[in-house]
Amino acid sequence: MKGLALAALAFALLVAGSVSALHFHRGGKEFKVFLAAFAGSVGLYAGAFWLVPADLGFVPVSWQETSPVVDFWNGLLLLALVFHGYWSFCYFACVSPSMSVLVDLRERGREGMSPGEALAMQGSDEPVNLIFQRRLPKLIRGGYVIEEAGAYRLLSRGGRVAALGSFLKKLINAQVGA
Amino acid sequence: MLKGLLLSGGLIALWAVGQAIVFHVAAPRKVFSSMLRSFAPTVPIYLLLYYVTPAHLGFLPTGFVGMDWRLGLGNGLMVYVLLFLTAGLFYSHADRSITIRLLIELARAPQQRLTLAEMRAVCGVEVLMQDRLDIMVRNGFLASRGDRFFLTPKGWIGSGVGRVARRVLRIRAL
Repeated sequence: MKGLALAALAFALLVAGSVSALHFHRGGKEFKVFLAAFAGSVGLYAGAFWLVPADLGFVPVSWQETSPVVDFWNGLLLLALVFHGYWSFCYFACVSPSMSVLVDLRERGREGMSPGEALAMQGSDEPVNLIFQRRLPKLIRGGYVIEEAGAYRLLSRGGRVAALGSFLKKLINAQVGA
Repeated sequence: MLKGLLLSGGLIALWAVGQAIVFHVAAPRKVFSSMLRSFAPTVPIYLLLYYVTPAHLGFLPTGFVGMDWRLGLGNGLMVYVLLFLTAGLFYSHADRSITIRLLIELARAPQQRLTLAEMRAVCGVEVLMQDRLDIMVRNGFLASRGDRFFLTPKGWIGSGVGRVARRVLRIRAL
């Protein structure tokens, strides 16, 4: 029970902290904000778990986990699982081309949207459309890809991610080139 | 608590193997619906297993048993559902990630090298957006009438969530 309660509190602080930090973040590396928020929440959770008594001042004995080790790791597992979901939701809601279509359609109301207009939202007419504008610089900065002689070449780090992605796609029977 | 964790961990592993077989044999078009349909019946199985098995599962030391069974059951159920949702997210990461697709296309290219024009041909916005529009129609978020797309009630709800999230989080595409 102690781990559950502290994990819930840590997650609430993680959300509040990351939302606040994102309002001021200008660097384009939002993943660092999320990772820092998660690291901070894990630190707070671990510190609080060590300092706070097992009954939290009000929990009955029958509701207390008999093993502090199980209690701690259970809370940490829940915090990690919920954080992963929160992080995925944030990126999907804010960056996903699909969500961009949904949000724009909402504003258009009965006007609807043609496939061409959906493409234009992603800068299809521009030399480097949004899909690549966002991803290529980050892949270069992260050491996954290098730009040379007017083209982009995969580096070994990118190759490992590509291999993992291919393996996962084969596992779920998704088309590897899709 | 450990009993619930072990039961949920074991069940989700079995479910994952079963779902991987479904992906290969049936190749469902509505993937998350398929995952939900196969997962839902396992929830009462978890509850039944928790009820019929002893607190120590036949091997747990006494130091790991003793908590109120309702809390152990509820905690294990919560972990079980979260593990299922995480599996769904991992499917989405593997299947829908544009970045991973881009890296895979680079890995498959001659000398693992592509120009921007070549990238656009294999995974550019034209290719990706049509795929995503088709999926959103298939999953009931959009309706297609003539050559235009419109929001369904489900899409209306989804877009509302997205609009609020974008205002609160302020993560931009660039």
